[in-house]
Amino acid sequence: MPARDGSSKRKPEDAVTEFFDLLAAKHHEPLFEGDTATIRFDVKDGRSLETWYLTVKNGDVGISHKRAGADAVVRMERGTLEMLVDGRHNAMAALLRGLMTIEGSMGAMVMFQRVLPGPPEDKGRVPPITGATVMAQRRPT
Amino acid sequence: MSDDLVQILEGNTFVVSDKRGDIEASLTDPTGLFSFDTRFLSRWVLTVDGQRLNALSTDDLQYFQTRFFLVPDTGTVYVNATLSVIRQRDVSDGFHEELRILNHQNQPVDLVVKIEAASDFADLFEVKDALEKKGKYRSRKVNGSLVLEYRRETYVRETWISSSEPVQFDAKGLAFKITVPAHGEWKTELDVVASLGSEGSSRTGPVGVRGQHRVRRDMARGLDKWLERAPHLECDWEPAQMIYRRCLTDLAALRFSTLTLTNRALPAAGLPWFMTIFGRDSIFTSLQALPFVPELAATTLLALGERQGTRIDDFRDEDPGRILHELRYGEMTAFEERPHSPYYGNADATPLYVVLMDEYERWTGDTKLVKQLEPEARAAINWIDQYADLQDNGYISYQRRNEETGLENQCWKDSWDSISYHNGDLPGFPRATCELQGYAYDAKVRAARLARQVWRDLSYAEQLEKEAADLKRRFNRDFWVADGEYFAVALDMDGRQVDSLTSNIGHLLWSGIVDNNKAKAVARHLVSPKMFSGWGVRTLAEGEARYNPIGYHTGAVWPFDNSFIAWGLRRYGFKEEAAAIAAGILAAAELFNGRLPEAFGGYRRSATRFPVEYPTACSPQAWSTGAPLLLLRVILGLEPIGENLVVDPGLPTRIGHVSLLDIPGRWKRIDAFGRGRIDVSKFLDY
Repeated sequence: MPARDGSSKRKPEDAVTEFFDLLAAKHHEPLFEGDTATIRFDVKDGRSLETWYLTVKNGDVGISHKRAGADAVVRMERGTLEMLVDGRHNAMAALLRGLMTIEGSMGAMVMFQRVLPGPPEDKGRVPPITGATVMAQRRPT
Repeated sequence: MSDDLVQILEGNTFVVSDKRGDIEASLTDPTGLFSFDTRFLSRWVLTVDGQRLNALSTDDLQYFQTRFFLVPDTGTVYVNATLSVIRQRDVSDGFHEELRILNHQNQPVDLVVKIEAASDFADLFEVKDALEKKGKYRSRKVNGSLVLEYRRETYVRETWISSSEPVQFDAKGLAFKITVPAHGEWKTELDVVASLGSEGSSRTGPVGVRGQHRVRRDMARGLDKWLERAPHLECDWEPAQMIYRRCLTDLAALRFSTLTLTNRALPAAGLPWFMTIFGRDSIFTSLQALPFVPELAATTLLALGERQGTRIDDFRDEDPGRILHELRYGEMTAFEERPHSPYYGNADATPLYVVLMDEYERWTGDTKLVKQLEPEARAAINWIDQYADLQDNGYISYQRRNEETGLENQCWKDSWDSISYHNGDLPGFPRATCELQGYAYDAKVRAARLARQVWRDLSYAEQLEKEAADLKRRFNRDFWVADGEYFAVALDMDGRQVDSLTSNIGHLLWSGIVDNNKAKAVARHLVSPKMFSGWGVRTLAEGEARYNPIGYHTGAVWPFDNSFIAWGLRRYGFKEEAAAIAAGILAAAELFNGRLPEAFGGYRRSATRFPVEYPTACSPQAWSTGAPLLLLRVILGLEPIGENLVVDPGLPTRIGHVSLLDIPGRWKRIDAFGRGRIDVSKFLDY
């Protein structure tokens, strides 16, 4: 479990905390191999502001709430982050849409998005389509 | 693109205007200021005392700079204009326009100068498909700037317009009330900046993309340096110089910096509509340009590596290890109305990524980068085995999971009718096209070499070599059309051969997957009258049901395709055939003034005497730009072996003497010389 200071009062089923806890528990994330960066997440939840730090050193991962220097500061609503960590939002689309902003290194954000999951229902395969079906949709020669 | 339009660009920002410098776009009209796949100005019209201007001349000073000489319309040629107007425009993260008004009279003159300014903030996809906007527009004044704004929920895009001289802003744009002294001049500097705002982030100034402006501009200024650093070509055949210089200059214009690798450049796919990263196009172009500007390959590997797929995402056709197809930044991508954030729907870029990595190391000896990218290479190989084998038969197949906005054909021949049986029927999905198996084979052979020599993982190398050998054996059995003596273009969903004769067989030679005893028949087909037009190899052979000389992938000739086919022929020792293809494509390049189109008609050379251009939106197109470069490599027979560059020329006689001096690589710099000794005339006169 990550070293968190003071503010670990969230419910155990909280998606954001669970996501960061799982990431921290890995200690080393192969998808961050060779990367080094610190990202600060400023997460707005109504009137309160929650801050998470993700520190990556050559693929080794640390999660903390402790104030530190950061290569990138990412700001968003808690609802957005919840949808990112369970795969309902895509990070790049959310960024282009203005659902989050980044100050500092874009590279750090591109690194981070690698560990976000895909949409929960997606299976990666679809039923085959027969040649007859394709021909029925198309013009003859 | 129509001839009366002027385009200048920098990175992914470009301006398309008329000869006067004016922009009057409709939703479907492709003029405007575009940046990040969004139109930031759709109207920019200059008037002096209410009158439009006429263009005397338009000079493209650089690919990022144009100067317009204008005069007011006097209505008749008998009245001399007493004013001249000079507009000079530079593209950066928007554009900078210097506007000068010269008074040629002996007395001062009072004038009202107006520029109408407006933006529809259309997504490039909307300009192509004429779609309606969903957000709201407004304009306001902030700190002496006019700000045009488009807002849809949290999505905000703004155009900031400012002037160095006092200006009045109104609902229509900018107005200047000025007095120009006798024989004097008035001047203002206008800045138009594209801003990627978000709610509350842009109260005081435009939100640009930090650092981009400066870096890109320095790259552009370095055009002379870029040309100087490339190898020097001398050739008896005069057009060679012109073609070579055109290719290098166009390649410079096609350089594109990503948001994460701001001080490096990779080749974008085409100007102006494809100024973005395309996995396939960036890789092929980097391969073609390797002997000349190897740094493009390094950036391509880094940029595609950092966005390699990591999850299953059906909308984006993303899988772990897959290399992206196309990345876009516009509104439709932002709202997931298009999947380009990025879209992964291609089946070739992933194996080709490994091919490029190995070829790059063989040329440059940059083991540091190849060590750094070992995880990406392994993930790519893993994609081939774990995710691309959709039929569990040991072959790469493709079938889109995004049936609405995904790509049906995920190979380079991506139009709907490109893959057909001899009788013209279209196969179902998944489809396993043949060249994909070649790329997979080559990727494994090359990854094995890297595993042995750079990553020092012997057992991985042995495993890959075993898998490659097995793939080659199966492929030569399953894809070989015995009675026609060529390889089927694909296997269909039942494992049946899709039996048309296509240019894809040339790529198979390039990949080395063809058994030696079958290569001769393949080479014979490629230069036979059925396939070779005299200018180049057709995408689909004459005699196939869907053959059409002006069919995009069903008969047209693609210079890029031909450059890899020629490389493949050389790989199997067919010097004469490779020289014939090079001679045909280079002759076409001469007629296109050095700038080969994406594709041209497959008509017989003897029938048209001039290659008939296939109408496409982009010029130059990156992999067409790279084709003459790769052909030069092929006919000089340049091949890195160990620490040395081997030169083994196989030049058409017409070329005469060739010297390519200062070829960069792991040997530092080396010169190559050759003399044309191959008579290719029997191939060129079909």
